[in-house]
Amino acid sequence: MLKFLLLIFLIEFSYAQNFTVSGKITDKSNGESMSGAAIFVKEINKAFAANNYGFYSITLPSGNYSLLYHFTGYTTITKNISLSKDMQINLQLQQEEIQMEEVVVKGQKSDINISGSQMGTVTMDIEQIKTLPQFMGEVDVMKTIQLIPGVKSAGDGQTGFYVRGGGPDQNLILLDEAVVYNASHLMGFFSVFNGDAIKNVSLVKGGMPAQYGNRLSSVLDIQMKEGNNQRFEVNGGIGLIASRLTVQGPLKKDTSSFIISARRTYVDVLARPFFKPGSPFAGTSYFFYDLNAKFNYLFSDKNKIFFSGYFGRDKFLFKDNQSGFNVNIPWGNSTGCFRWNHIFNKKLFSNISLIYSYYDFSFGALQEGFEFKLFSGIRDWNIKQDFSWFPNTRHDVKWGWNYTYHTFIPTNVSARQGETTFDLGDVVKLYAHDAHAYITDDWDVTDFLKINAGVRFSYFAQVGPFTRYLKNQAGVITDSIRYEKNKKVKDYNGVEPRAAIRWTLNKSSSIKASYTRNFQYIHLASISSVSLPTDVWMPSTEYIKPQIGNQYALGYFKNFKNDEFETSVEAYYKEMKNLIEYKEGAQPQDNVLDNPDNSFTFGKGRAYGVEFFVKKNSGKLTGWIGYTLSWTTRQFDAINLGKEFFAKYDRRHDASLVINYQRNKRWTFSGIWVYGTGNAGTLPNSLAFFEGDIMTIYGLRNSYRFQAYHRMDLSATYTPDRNKQLQKRKTHLEKKYSQSGKDISKIELPKKWARNYESSWSFSVFNVYNRMNPYFIYFDSEGDFTQGTFKVRAKQVSLFPVLPSVTWNFKF
Amino acid sequence: MNLKYYTSVQFIFSIFGLLFLFSCQKEIDVKIPDYEQRLVVDGSIEPGVKPLVILTWTAPYFGNQNYSNFQQYFVENAEVIVSDGTVSDTLYQPLPGVFPAYTSNNLIGQAGKTYTLTITVNNKTYTSVTSILPAIPVDSLYFKPDLNDTLGYLWAHFKDPEAPGDFYRWFAKRINKDDRFLAPFASATDDKFFNGKEFDFPNARGMEPNSEKPDDKNDERGYFKKGDSVMVKFCTIGEKEYRYFRSYYQNLSSNGNPFSAPSTLESNIDNGAIGLWCGYGTFFKGVRLQ
Repeated sequence: MLKFLLLIFLIEFSYAQNFTVSGKITDKSNGESMSGAAIFVKEINKAFAANNYGFYSITLPSGNYSLLYHFTGYTTITKNISLSKDMQINLQLQQEEIQMEEVVVKGQKSDINISGSQMGTVTMDIEQIKTLPQFMGEVDVMKTIQLIPGVKSAGDGQTGFYVRGGGPDQNLILLDEAVVYNASHLMGFFSVFNGDAIKNVSLVKGGMPAQYGNRLSSVLDIQMKEGNNQRFEVNGGIGLIASRLTVQGPLKKDTSSFIISARRTYVDVLARPFFKPGSPFAGTSYFFYDLNAKFNYLFSDKNKIFFSGYFGRDKFLFKDNQSGFNVNIPWGNSTGCFRWNHIFNKKLFSNISLIYSYYDFSFGALQEGFEFKLFSGIRDWNIKQDFSWFPNTRHDVKWGWNYTYHTFIPTNVSARQGETTFDLGDVVKLYAHDAHAYITDDWDVTDFLKINAGVRFSYFAQVGPFTRYLKNQAGVITDSIRYEKNKKVKDYNGVEPRAAIRWTLNKSSSIKASYTRNFQYIHLASISSVSLPTDVWMPSTEYIKPQIGNQYALGYFKNFKNDEFETSVEAYYKEMKNLIEYKEGAQPQDNVLDNPDNSFTFGKGRAYGVEFFVKKNSGKLTGWIGYTLSWTTRQFDAINLGKEFFAKYDRRHDASLVINYQRNKRWTFSGIWVYGTGNAGTLPNSLAFFEGDIMTIYGLRNSYRFQAYHRMDLSATYTPDRNKQLQKRKTHLEKKYSQSGKDISKIELPKKWARNYESSWSFSVFNVYNRMNPYFIYFDSEGDFTQGTFKVRAKQVSLFPVLPSVTWNFKF
Repeated sequence: MNLKYYTSVQFIFSIFGLLFLFSCQKEIDVKIPDYEQRLVVDGSIEPGVKPLVILTWTAPYFGNQNYSNFQQYFVENAEVIVSDGTVSDTLYQPLPGVFPAYTSNNLIGQAGKTYTLTITVNNKTYTSVTSILPAIPVDSLYFKPDLNDTLGYLWAHFKDPEAPGDFYRWFAKRINKDDRFLAPFASATDDKFFNGKEFDFPNARGMEPNSEKPDDKNDERGYFKKGDSVMVKFCTIGEKEYRYFRSYYQNLSSNGNPFSAPSTLESNIDNGAIGLWCGYGTFFKGVRLQ
């Protein structure tokens, strides 16, 4: 078989007299590159996609061809070419001109889900996301992707997501190629991604191609807007809890542009009147803000550079005047990225990126002269280069390399009582080199068979400065080994094969299968039962081995009614090993004067399930229904007496329904409904008496099921018709002028910005039928043991009842 | 180190305070899976004192608990043997049916000795070993007002020995006010953070569980009062014993805290029993608070 494939491969490259048509596709109105635009070549009945930077390259035998350039919501352009030499066609697509009362048909209508080899990948345009119901008026891409089958949310108030049984640390979250280590604001109630600064979002939940790595479960790739290079544009919005403002425009028309987008919450200001003076919350204040900025410059047809950055911060303050107790908790991410797109020749495209990412958390408390500080974080310097090569119509080859220097700052503690500073050891930092290289080919072997095969090589080394403490049996440190700067402490490497195969059954259906093997060298350990910003990233060390995952998937894909309906069934089986958890009873301060990797214990996990998906792509009514039946388990020798247990987010049934109805140009309605089996949890099952106090004894890990989670949200978006408004003004003035006998032709046109002005209102209702979904259960004991009235009660706390919100957005 | 806020439910609730503006709660029925009844050991031995071992069974989590039905969790007729390696004695129950405590008339704790506890009940045998370690002194006990001029903490001056690996537990008893030595919350500590250092540390006042005393209910709760005469019992304990107390206090503080991971109790007793067999190296010092 291998020989046969190799033979075909060689034949492919021996084609004679081939020429290449290549170029870039951009949006005419703002110059944004259009990643994912499709180029359909009629004669060979084949579609090609532009890459992330809008670059495409198609190599064909000489001849006459019709090329259809297509992007959803844009007018398709047909180019008839006579290919007898290499050609460059840079093209600008224009948004479809909309007639009054006519309905724009949005949504992707293509057969890429049938013809592509990729499984488990979803791409969403931000405009699509914006029409869905919003929680407290904030557009949230993280919440939207949780509506996709196989992607599970952790419940209300959490943006951490779980893909096919993987943990939240197994998702690679990229913002313009920079890793975002904590993608949530306010303990996970909102995501850090400001909808105004984002162009599109794509999620790979299975069959991860070789260009991505260092995570087991998924890739969430978020691209920021480049900035309008045609004209200045200001847009923004005022919502229930936050306001946004974005400014973008050309620095030099057609060649350079910028975008700056900012957002800040004002819950702290709004909530203040609700806190009675003297209540425990009176000294509480919380806010977050974030800032996105991007700049790009096109040097020549062959070279373009980008700078992009993100900076966001959460700040929580608590002050109790009575006890003099004072808390200050700031945390946040910052990322920066410099990119250089270079087109070597018509078939070879490359991008070099230099990336910085940083996340830090700190906690400071002060009481009665006792000062306590705790901080943690992670910093990356990353350089990578990726190549895309389009040798002929049958191959799309990608290769590249990636190197990261990590600095991990696990929980560090300092404390002071009056003049005495407690010895809490040196600040612990861990350093690591992390290098990857990959090659992958998307290969049309025959008209029926397509293979996407690749391999990734990864290498990870923890290096000094580092001190390994040696302990005696009682756990007391007796000696230590010192590693100097850059001296290797421990290294690992991995070979990660990835393969996906598509077999076309007919024009509207195909079968796909994939296998991926992934290594993950960095780990997130969560000390509490919910995802908190205190969760700490750790490198692989002598004791912490890299997580390894194998995933097998099989799917059947079928489209109906000329691709109007997409359906699919995908089954997956995933096994993971070297998963990490804190040892039972571990505390954050255990790191002090000890190696942090001593606080962990290791185990394995399994996940399997079937996902059903039906999607309607076009028409006034669009949307999808997804259903997943799945099982997720974990097994740790040191937890739960070594018995296998269900993961917290094991979810037998998970369903989502998304509907979007575009009534006319002014009104859009949408609704979502989600259902999920309740989380698994550990509850106490008995009491024990010691020194007169009552201790709680817990049952088996995750042996209890919370109530099921379900919820419906609805929204309506109203966009006033600007043309009508302008027409009205004109008619009014004409009338006024003619009545007073003035010359109608002297009527001044409104200023340019006013002509461009657009606004919209979004109305959302979260949790329409006021479902009390469990957030957590706690136990309250009351009464007196000696009086015979002692009793324990279980109480379930729900976060959000029905919550309406309204947001006003503007643009000019 | 007064970190009671750090772990308390109240603090975490206040972090989420803004969001809990909307939250709501209701009482629910929780079906607790069946549990296996386990032995709970609360045993101690110290120099000059007879060993004391209190044995109970774990009780169901829900349900009305009180003294009248409390007796069903007493462990009666257990065979309890304490041995110091040369002398071995079977403990007796002074108040059978009234209190499940076992003690000895022949054995008295001695510093530096190691004691093995063997319990046999319902055909199951449990064993544990503990030692009475040499005492380490505290000096210069003094009162420092906190809430007002008369209510405050009991401070102690302390010098930790140079070698690492010391573990302590603090008790205090107000003369004529308390019936026994009481340990405040989180009274056990290791010397990891202050090995070899010399410093002063404050101590809150411990109280009887479910205390109904007026001074445990009003402003005086947790405070010592000017004029009190106090006897301090400063104890040296072993590493396993310290780890038990750490998990014990973690268990007490996280009870009901929905965000903490379920805590597992450490124990130095084998065969699935809960609790501790603890030797205390004791140092006593008295002070009149002024």
